[in-house]
Amino acid sequence: MDVNTKYGTIDIAISGLKSQNKYIEIIGSNISNAQTTKTSSGEPYKQIEARFKSTGDKFGTVEVEQTEAEGGFKRVLDPGHPDADEQGYVKMPDINLPSELMKLNTASRAYEANVAVLKRYQKMVERTLELLK
Amino acid sequence: MINKVNSGFSQAIQNIGKSNSTNKPNQELSKTIKTAGEYLDKVDQQQVNADASVKQMLAGNEDIDSVIAKTAKADMSFKLLVGVRNKLVEAYKQTMNMKI
Repeated sequence: MDVNTKYGTIDIAISGLKSQNKYIEIIGSNISNAQTTKTSSGEPYKQIEARFKSTGDKFGTVEVEQTEAEGGFKRVLDPGHPDADEQGYVKMPDINLPSELMKLNTASRAYEANVAVLKRYQKMVERTLELLK
Repeated sequence: MINKVNSGFSQAIQNIGKSNSTNKPNQELSKTIKTAGEYLDKVDQQQVNADASVKQMLAGNEDIDSVIAKTAKADMSFKLLVGVRNKLVEAYKQTMNMKI
């Protein structure tokens, strides 16, 4: 038996953990930058979107691809703001905090689900090895 | 520390394999033991890797998920090795205790 053949499930579960980790990172970035009006490019912060991709051919490990969201910015009236234009409008990132928090919930549940797969698989292998006794 | 114990064990197992290899009827068992010795080397390598990745993580160069993956694999392989080893020893004992 090759040592590496029976680890498929572990690798897949771990890739799920890593992807959810990355997803939570992206959500965290979106939440903490929800009011960022200036990034290094001079523009306000753009919402980052996560896309889950399978690395194998239909079946296998997963990874996250991050892309900047399409669409523009919110225009908010705030004449006192340092980044306000002549009419007193400030361009703000178009980030919906409640929906980001919903995504955060989903991501952390998905993380737990991947942990559950990993744990259950380890238990299954242990049970199988008990047959040797 | 584990690798030292492992390499000692590996040598012992290989010695058993060698001493038996001249005996024609016993070749199957010696082959099994040799394969077990090779598998033990793989398990040892996995444990060394897992150990290294823990150190890498503590140094800040690796994320915890990879460490979990490597330790889980090493743990499972080790359990399989122990299971096979126990079974082999048991078979040996049963053979030796056979009434002739």
